[in-house]
Amino acid sequence: MSNALPVADIAQVRRYVRELIRRHPRGLAAALGLHALAAGAGLVAPRLLGDLVEGISQGVAATTVDRVVAAIAAFVVVQAVLVRFAHLASARLGERVLAELREEFVDRVLALPLATVERAGTGDLLTRTSRDVAALSRTVRFAGPETLIAALTVLLILGALVLTGPLLALPSLLAVPVLWAGTRWYLRRAPQGYLRENAAYSDITDGISETVEGARTTEALRQAARRRARGDADIRRSYAAERYTLHLRTVFWPVAEFGYLVPMVATLLIGGWFHLKGWASLGQVTAATLYAQQLTDPIERLLGWLDEFQVGGASLARLLGVAAEPDERARASATPDERAAAPGSAGGAGRLAAHDVRYAYRPGHDVLHGVTLEPRPGERLAMVGPSGAGKSTLGRLLAGVHAPSAGTVTVDGRPLAGMPLAELRTHVALVSQEHHVFIGTLADNVAMVRPDADPARVRAALAAVDALDWALALPDGLDTAVGAGGHPLTPAQAQQLALARLVLADPHTLVLDEATSLIDPRAARALERSLAAVLQGRTVIAIAHRLFSAHDADRVAVVADGRITELGSHDELVAAGGSYAALWRSWHG
Amino acid sequence: MRFSPAGDPGTPDARSATRYLVWLAGRHPVIFGAGLALGVIWMLAQALVPAVLGRAVEAGLAQRDPDALVRWGLALLGLGLVQAVAGILRHRCAVHNWLGAAYRTVQVTVDATNRLGAALPRRVAAGEVVSIGTADIEHIGGAIDITARGAGSVVGIVTVAVILLNASQPLGLVVVLGVPLLMALVALLIRPLHRQQAAYRDSTGRLTARAADIVSGLRVLRGVGGEPVLSERYRQRSQALRADGLRVARVESLLQAAQILVPGVFVVLVTWLGARFALRGEISAGELVSFYGYTAFLVSPLRNLTEAADKLTRGHVAARRVVRLLRLAPEFTDPATPVPVPAGPGELADVRSGLVLRPGRLTALATATPQDATEIADRLGRYADGDVTLHGVPLRDVALATVRERILVADNDAQLFSGVLRTELDPHDRAEPGAVAAALAAASATDIVEALPGGLDGEVAERGREFSGGQRQRLRLARALVADPETLILVEPTSAVDAHTEARIAERLGPARHGRTTLVCTTSPLVLGHADHVVFVEDGKVVAEGRHEELLAAEPRYAATVSREEDR
Repeated sequence: MSNALPVADIAQVRRYVRELIRRHPRGLAAALGLHALAAGAGLVAPRLLGDLVEGISQGVAATTVDRVVAAIAAFVVVQAVLVRFAHLASARLGERVLAELREEFVDRVLALPLATVERAGTGDLLTRTSRDVAALSRTVRFAGPETLIAALTVLLILGALVLTGPLLALPSLLAVPVLWAGTRWYLRRAPQGYLRENAAYSDITDGISETVEGARTTEALRQAARRRARGDADIRRSYAAERYTLHLRTVFWPVAEFGYLVPMVATLLIGGWFHLKGWASLGQVTAATLYAQQLTDPIERLLGWLDEFQVGGASLARLLGVAAEPDERARASATPDERAAAPGSAGGAGRLAAHDVRYAYRPGHDVLHGVTLEPRPGERLAMVGPSGAGKSTLGRLLAGVHAPSAGTVTVDGRPLAGMPLAELRTHVALVSQEHHVFIGTLADNVAMVRPDADPARVRAALAAVDALDWALALPDGLDTAVGAGGHPLTPAQAQQLALARLVLADPHTLVLDEATSLIDPRAARALERSLAAVLQGRTVIAIAHRLFSAHDADRVAVVADGRITELGSHDELVAAGGSYAALWRSWHG
Repeated sequence: MRFSPAGDPGTPDARSATRYLVWLAGRHPVIFGAGLALGVIWMLAQALVPAVLGRAVEAGLAQRDPDALVRWGLALLGLGLVQAVAGILRHRCAVHNWLGAAYRTVQVTVDATNRLGAALPRRVAAGEVVSIGTADIEHIGGAIDITARGAGSVVGIVTVAVILLNASQPLGLVVVLGVPLLMALVALLIRPLHRQQAAYRDSTGRLTARAADIVSGLRVLRGVGGEPVLSERYRQRSQALRADGLRVARVESLLQAAQILVPGVFVVLVTWLGARFALRGEISAGELVSFYGYTAFLVSPLRNLTEAADKLTRGHVAARRVVRLLRLAPEFTDPATPVPVPAGPGELADVRSGLVLRPGRLTALATATPQDATEIADRLGRYADGDVTLHGVPLRDVALATVRERILVADNDAQLFSGVLRTELDPHDRAEPGAVAAALAAASATDIVEALPGGLDGEVAERGREFSGGQRQRLRLARALVADPETLILVEPTSAVDAHTEARIAERLGPARHGRTTLVCTTSPLVLGHADHVVFVEDGKVVAEGRHEELLAAEPRYAATVSREEDR
């Protein structure tokens, strides 16, 4: 998919991970040190047990036995205490890193150019936000520490083996080629397999959601068999994916188990031979065999988490990839010198103008073919035209959301592209038909555009759009939690919130993109009154569904096929007898 | 062991959660039984390792017997191989048990949902059913899967206890009595951990929802701003989650320490007693090694048993939810003796409002409030009970399947399903060549298909989310036209499209439904102007009928409803 958001490459991921490690040297050192000490303490018992066996076979005093057992007990207690603090240290580090990762990701999303979101769709971004952050969270919270502990334990056991008797460590090395080859084979295939498995599983989940949400539609269109078939197809796909990974494990696990078995048996047999030859004591061989047996658990865990690491790495690559997308507004931005040379905005008339602008969502497919439009300050300009004619695109260019691929959009002579967002929004704002209520309180939803605004101004903004009465009547008034999972608002109320935001943001020019179109016409009437309050004294460019707005506008621009085909007052256009006049007549009856 | 993932699920036993789980396990008796047997063999092979190791130390090393050393060394190897083979076979059975239970639950859930149909939202919260798909199938699969390992663990613990009791009664007793004590201790710690973990999961879910909220609202943000505020708020929540994570880690770290300390103390006790007995010559040095090995081994089946108890509980809770869904009944059932409806177009009449749809005509319904329109449409389509007759036959006496076949209600809440667009528009693959194109043209939706990569063969994402509200509405209209029912009831089919498009649809709708019975609920003058007949309803009753122009002239309330000029 050429439209999908990019994914970071391996070098970028590695650089980022190195940078993360550099950011937390002390936390990392603490976690590593404590885990190493804990694992070390756990290794003393087999050695002491070996001594015990040796001593018993030679007939030592009961007090010696008591002393050795007391030492074993002491080390168990020490290990338990160390494990507790080691776990806390690595959790502290993990949670901090994880918080940084997700916060940086959300900041990258917030900085994402809208054109990119439009092109890739929000689906991909939502998947990254939920699934990839979750996968990475698993890696950082579990796979990271577990692998760390397992690797340290393996190293320490090998060290203990060498200390017990250098020769006795050699048999354990026999496992290395077996495990190396097996793991290599497995890791080449596993991540893809598990990703496919997870994706197939999500398909099942999504399919059920769809079936549940569409139960009435299914009944109306008599599609029960099709929903059933969809479920069965998802199940079959999931089973195919599961079978593949099961096949991988069926090959790899026995090989790995054999790999764990070899050191123990080899240490016992070869060590036993050494013992018979008099090169090693009974205690040494016993301890070495127990150590070799103890290797199983950490190696198993180490290998078990490796594929999780690969999945986490892939997720990280997708999260970092979001930042790799260049911002078209920045790309189109003027050099600092040019910006400095342009006249300041303070005291400007707020004259917005588009000159010969073109725009393409996909290269080579221009949606606008050289449009020039100069709204007069304070006028109300309506844009009408069929769907797909380019009205919304022109609206976004005028609002500075997109930068034109050719031509310029300026306010008082200064290009919108490259203007800092905070300044741009004092000039022009865009309200689209997608009214979104953000998770948070009602007051937050209005105040978000002006964080410094005091509560009185928020109330004033709500009052200006006739929303204060119902807002105060909510369970917790302006502090009522709204948005997903909060108190439900009607579409009309949501739209009033969007308008209240505008009042507070207070730009001199507004672009309204079919702002009342999704609302029942009967509710729209009340809303238009609120709207009138917002529009007072501003330049308004309204992209209209309903012809009333066109009728009431100072001028009407008819957009067709990426061009402005008619421009003038309602009466002029009706008199001219063009396409607008035809539409008006059919509508007005 | 033939395993068919998507075969006929059969009739689930919905009498209780336990019976449902037993029914699931019984679907694949061979795999289930083999899993149990392999679980036992696998665990026994592990349980015997310390015994063999002890013999090797004793007979081979301490007695300096090379033959015995090799013999016991090879026995150890053999035991390891048995464990590896039984382990992977057990795992294969476990995966199939898991998948079989999960898949079957998916199938019965989909079937139950389809059976409930339009009644579903009134019977159960959608989230409740969706969570079957997101969480419950995992828990149910887990409950069936854990049986193999659980059974093996019980046998493993019993075997070790028997061996120990035979070797030394006091030592054996320590182990037999110590094991349940250990389990209880660990279980005590696990409960608060689960509470903390559940809280952490909830916070994670809320934070993810917040991030998704930002993504969904991105277009709005780009228009008016507010990014720094949202970023800051997300950061606060994220830091709160970090604190939650540390709270979990604190409990977790205690549990981990306990998992070292509790079995460790046990090992020390057994070793100490064992060493004393060995000194007195009651057991050999090799047996001491075995004792140490047994106590170390017991940690694993103990952990399995704790996990089994947990998974069976969760599985039971999940199965309860599934059973609850399976036992729900749909709102309308077929009458005992369905009355046949004469073939061909007939009058459809709603007694309460007085609305009569004459066959073969395009009727428009304008209502003063939107609720009136949806209530009438629901009654006409028998989504709500009411005195409605088709061909003079009360709908109550007609088989529901017949009603659904002859009358289609298409509203704006209708779902666009994901999949290939052509299949979505023509799910029964019955439309004649050109019918889909004609329906698309009538719904003024041809441009949407042209813009979709792959055209009619392109994929629609879930809920048609890549389309705008107006595009989705036009595609829904096209789908209803392709279905070509005898009677089509459209609720506000053009509320989200622009005036140009609305004009085109209004013009084309009549010809597209030529000869069929159609009702359009709308207040748009463009659509009303093209209807054969317009009915105006106020307070649930028909108050005026006629052509659009006549009503405009004669009925001021109608004029006020359909035209907003009055307000200005």
